[in-house]
Amino acid sequence: MGNNSLKRVFKNMGTQKLIAILALVFIYVFFAVFSSSFRTSNTLISIFDSSYYIGFMAIGVTFVIITGGIDLSIGTVLICSSLIGGVLYEKGLPLALVLICIILIGALFGFINGILVSKFKLPAFIATLGTMMITRGFGSIVTKTKSITYPLRTAEDGWYKSLFRTGPIGNMETGFPTGFIILMVLAIAMAIFLNKTRPGRYILALGSNKEATRLSGVNVVKWETLAYVISGTFAGLAAISYIAIYSTVQPGSGNGFEMDAIAGVVIGGTSLAGGVGSIAGTIIGVFIMSILKVGLPFIGLQPHYQLFITGFVIILAVYADVRNRAKSSKN
Amino acid sequence: MKLKKVVAMGIATVLVAGMMLTGCGKKEEVTPENTENTGTETTTETDTGNSENLTVEIIAKGFQHDFWQAVLKGTEKAAEEFGVTTNFVGPANESAIAEQVEQLNNAINKGPSAIALAALDTSAAVDAISNAQSKGIPIVGFDSGVPGAPEGSVVANAATDNYKAGELAAEKMYEAIKDKVTDPAETVRIGVVAQEANSDSITKRTAGFVEKMSSLIGEDKSTVEGHDKYNRKVDGAKVVIEVRIPSEVSDNAGKTEALTLLNKADLVGIYGSNEFASKCIINANEGMNKLGTDKVIAIGFDSGALQIDAIKSGVFYGSITQDPISIGYNAVKLAVAAAKGEAVTDVDTGCQFYNAENIENEDIAPLLYE
Amino acid sequence: MEGIDKSFAGVSALKQAKLEVKAGEVHALMGENGAGKSTLMKILTGIYSKDNGSIKFDEKEVEFKNPREAQDAGIVIVHQELNMMNHLTVAQNLFIGKENMKGKFINDRANNEQAKLLFKKINIDIDPKEIMGNLTVGRQQMVEIAKAISTDAKVIVFDEPTAALTETEITELFKIIRDLRNKGIGIVYISHRMDEIKQITDRVTVMRDGEYVGTLITEECTKDDIISMMVGRVIYEDPKQTSNVPADAPVVLSVKNLNAGKMVRDVSFELKKGEILGFSGLMGAGRTETARAIFGADPKESGQIFVNGKEVTINNPMDAVNAGIGYLSEDRKRYGVIVQKTVADNSVMANLENYSSGIFINDKKVKKDSKKYVELLKTKTPSVDQYVMNLSGGNQQKVVIAKWLIRDSEILIFDEPTRGIDVGAKSEIYSLMNELVKEGKSIIMISSELTEVLRMSDRVIVMCEGRIAGEFSIEEANQEKIMHSATLRK
Repeated sequence: MGNNSLKRVFKNMGTQKLIAILALVFIYVFFAVFSSSFRTSNTLISIFDSSYYIGFMAIGVTFVIITGGIDLSIGTVLICSSLIGGVLYEKGLPLALVLICIILIGALFGFINGILVSKFKLPAFIATLGTMMITRGFGSIVTKTKSITYPLRTAEDGWYKSLFRTGPIGNMETGFPTGFIILMVLAIAMAIFLNKTRPGRYILALGSNKEATRLSGVNVVKWETLAYVISGTFAGLAAISYIAIYSTVQPGSGNGFEMDAIAGVVIGGTSLAGGVGSIAGTIIGVFIMSILKVGLPFIGLQPHYQLFITGFVIILAVYADVRNRAKSSKN
Repeated sequence: MKLKKVVAMGIATVLVAGMMLTGCGKKEEVTPENTENTGTETTTETDTGNSENLTVEIIAKGFQHDFWQAVLKGTEKAAEEFGVTTNFVGPANESAIAEQVEQLNNAINKGPSAIALAALDTSAAVDAISNAQSKGIPIVGFDSGVPGAPEGSVVANAATDNYKAGELAAEKMYEAIKDKVTDPAETVRIGVVAQEANSDSITKRTAGFVEKMSSLIGEDKSTVEGHDKYNRKVDGAKVVIEVRIPSEVSDNAGKTEALTLLNKADLVGIYGSNEFASKCIINANEGMNKLGTDKVIAIGFDSGALQIDAIKSGVFYGSITQDPISIGYNAVKLAVAAAKGEAVTDVDTGCQFYNAENIENEDIAPLLYE
Repeated sequence: MEGIDKSFAGVSALKQAKLEVKAGEVHALMGENGAGKSTLMKILTGIYSKDNGSIKFDEKEVEFKNPREAQDAGIVIVHQELNMMNHLTVAQNLFIGKENMKGKFINDRANNEQAKLLFKKINIDIDPKEIMGNLTVGRQQMVEIAKAISTDAKVIVFDEPTAALTETEITELFKIIRDLRNKGIGIVYISHRMDEIKQITDRVTVMRDGEYVGTLITEECTKDDIISMMVGRVIYEDPKQTSNVPADAPVVLSVKNLNAGKMVRDVSFELKKGEILGFSGLMGAGRTETARAIFGADPKESGQIFVNGKEVTINNPMDAVNAGIGYLSEDRKRYGVIVQKTVADNSVMANLENYSSGIFINDKKVKKDSKKYVELLKTKTPSVDQYVMNLSGGNQQKVVIAKWLIRDSEILIFDEPTRGIDVGAKSEIYSLMNELVKEGKSIIMISSELTEVLRMSDRVIVMCEGRIAGEFSIEEANQEKIMHSATLRK
């Protein structure tokens, strides 16, 4: 019995996720072997730093992808909400409230996406493409194309930076990556939410078969909207991690962030067709990408190679999944 | 159940592996071995004594752009001359603040002898800069440098005096449009296209031009509009200086702004404060043909194949060029000196006005890049 | 339910429809496809809202705004098309929308245990933790039924529950239905299979064109009574007496020692010109798999295929089409037609090269020819520009047939050609098949309905567990013999 249930865990977990974990470990060890300076706590903190905003976006968008939809707007929502937050801050709003506003703005855009997709039946790709452009333009409008700079660590309001790192990168003591703890806590919380609560179950169910879920008496409009609200809210969280790490936000940027997040989700084994997905996989996928991004320069490769190699990783990961599924459907 | 297992397995493995390796890697931080470096770096075996093992990490604001390739050439030249190892990186575009910060962090983690930095945004890089400071890695600025960096963190800059460069552009344009802007009967307009309103270098070039032009025409006879940063409203002034900034750094958005200016009938002159802005003006003029010696006078900045062609064919009146090779060369030179602990001071890498007549001259031609 | 009206975009779907179900009876609801049975049931279960009329439940006037309200009141439906979340487990499917909770969290252990109890009660053996998508269609159907039963329902609607079940599973199902009836639950039973109606139901209500036709007591009427109420004419369903194929007819297709996976083991048979060769057997006996292997849709391990005496290599459907073989899938919507395309587009899908010059498609010719076949096959469609999704099941099937006729296929494999098609359309498909063989085409017909096999075939092959378990000429074949072979375990 124990043996059997273990087998099932592996079967359900899927080859793809197993490969993803192995790849993560392999890539880290690879860089660590080939570069002594990669094996420092500094580098590890750099990897974390560059993972936060992608990681939060990826956790959020996992829910949307599980419903069979897509959210292209998360990157620009990140930028837009931090720009609006910056303008509010300049107008004198206390920073703590600004941060809350940023999350609410993210949630609001998520809600708009959700309503467009679930209620008005717009294709997710189109609806979120629209909000992507709207948020991108809106960010430029509210700031008059000026970039926004949040308070630096040394400033009076610099405390928010310690949410993600306690000090400058130096070592684990001075610059402890508190953000990693936040990321992990939220990831675990959302994983439990997805697998152990009704809303999570309904999101999985409607991604698998929306009509069947509806006929089971589940309010699919509500839960599908919720998936987008989660995605938007996490884009807001991502915005906070972004300003905490990078301080400055430039209008018009943020394009392509969403693709990094979606790539992480896909590498982590969530199917773009909907119905299957896991937060753990997403986190693994995001870290695979950021280790590549940080690690490649250490072996003397320009960052463009990260794109090049990530492309292969995505194709490989999804191919493994497709093969695996074809095999299991035969039996 | 399954989930916890996966989270635990994946993340714990990485963390444990990371922490363990961190332990053994620490010792080497101080004297890094650079045996693993193989990228775009240049090493020479020339015997120049104590600089043999020095490494300089160069973080530019771009990489694939012609300008940065010319800077790269300068750094390579210096690397060869001083016998040091250099590694040149830059983000994909000038909006990619996060990417550049990551590159800077990486550079610091590699533990080089010195770092040369052209920051896209200083506040974003401030943590990393203080990290370098605490590790004793000197930073020199180049090109736009690291404006507003914490006191003492950037030891010297190798840069064009951008405000001066902007002034030079204004002087040259004023020469050409003097008649049209001296007490005109109808409103006349001078357009300015600036890539963005954040970076210090572009702001200074724009401000240098706008302010110099205003004072040449007369403060009370000209009004500046278009962007909060430069606006100076003078009622009844007949000369309008209009600054336009695209909503994003893309060829299309920039071209739209240039088109808006070119479509105004009262336009007499137009200035693009960097290569991107100049390119947008040239692209917008395509098919409109409003630019030329007897038409609207256009002055650009930097070079590049498109701009050089526009100048040779008379579409552009002329352009201001910095000296990218000198910037790259001096950046490495300063970095090497700083790494050795020598005293360093800022270097003005200079700028020149060039047009169809002097473009082939010996003192101009090497500064231009295709 | 009384005097129910419903129209969609001005088109009336129900006119004064009526249905009365007593506690503890099995009530058959019959009518051709499009007669309004499904619409009526969707109104009952809160999926659609009615325009007019009243629904009384336990003497009280009710109106359900959504499926949830109907469920809560005790009215549930087992859908004709399987409505399952394939990626979730069996138990998760069963309890969707009404999970056992432990505080804020779903108590999956309790769900699994409750599912086990439920399955025990209706005597089926399914692991609640299995992923739904890994079950066979028949077992998924059982889960669907279990789901309906799990809610303490007072009225259960079965919408063609047996379409995908094997004979043994049907027997099990009937046992369950009788159990439910004895517990005082009212059951609405929708089916096209006459013999099932006779077997299981107490009363029959017949609908035609959205209207109530009448209610009969099952024991007191004959099949023909019901059928004539449904269509207004009498249809004979007598078995074929003798083969129409001369003994010396040439062999057009010969399959030798075909192996493909577990479901096709050492299959050899011959198909003669002008013959309808019936393939019978239980669900999962390997008939569809054999057809797909012959057609090149699935890879085969070994075996030879001869068309008109010449060996052909078929590695993919393209090879098969070129060899003159056409395949009409059992699952029209998934494999047979592209529902978002027009009748014309679907008709020429297998033969586009004959309808294009260069890379361009000759639309005029496409329309002309597809129109010809619409007339020939009497496909009911306003025009060839109609989208296939707007056609009824029987007419969709005709479009698929047209597709292969346009391609000039000599050998046609019909996989469950009348599944989900009403009686009237069925007999049209039958006469069409008879006409096709008269013209010299040859047909392999896979069917799970024994009456259909006996009525149409010139020869019957029975499969069991991937092997050929028996072969009968139509003269010697009867239901008992076929069922005997089909359940033959080696």
